[in-house]
Amino acid sequence: MMVLRRKVGEAIRINDDIRIFIQDIQGGHSVRFAIDAPANVAVHRLEVYSIIQQENQAANKGDALTWLKGGG
Amino acid sequence: MVQVMEKKEAAEQSEFVFPRGLAGFGDAHRFGFIYEGQGDMICMQSLDTPEAAFILTPWDEQRLGATPELNAEQRDCLHLTSNEEQGSSIMWMLVLNPFADQAWVTANMRAPIALHANAGRGIQCIRHDTSLELRYHWMPQPSAA
Repeated sequence: MMVLRRKVGEAIRINDDIRIFIQDIQGGHSVRFAIDAPANVAVHRLEVYSIIQQENQAANKGDALTWLKGGG
Repeated sequence: MVQVMEKKEAAEQSEFVFPRGLAGFGDAHRFGFIYEGQGDMICMQSLDTPEAAFILTPWDEQRLGATPELNAEQRDCLHLTSNEEQGSSIMWMLVLNPFADQAWVTANMRAPIALHANAGRGIQCIRHDTSLELRYHWMPQPSAA
């Protein structure tokens, strides 16, 4: 994993089209980012995304079409 | 209701592109819809990842209240133009999970699907409100009814 040191107001660029700005640091333990990314790039908090990822996989555990054909 | 049915028919006949994929299925960008005559439920089948298939049902405003609001990035991703009203252009669907609970088919209230039929685009809108239920009791399991 890459680790970079940045100051408030500075940014990180990922590829040609994603920029992450450090907006401010609150209380020495909370960092606020501003993320500029194309509309087709999904940006979420990791813990929120992980929950949805797991639930999508759970909803995909069985065969959806067979379930529907079986009487819903 | 008529409008929902018209939109559902439009969805069934179309291929939808999900530019962001679905959480956990990032390679699944193109989906088709298969209606098996089971009430309001429809199967959303990935055309890229055959094992990725989901059961969806339309958002029920009488039961759940108003549909979520799209933000600017989501509107952009769906190719929703400034002239298009979200209410009349977007069909909101819930992802059902019939496999997690023996008694209930559950609905994921935290990540509904927005479909823009005119543009053939869709996104899963992940909502950060932790009070929304991940496994909302949508309907009893048919086998348990």
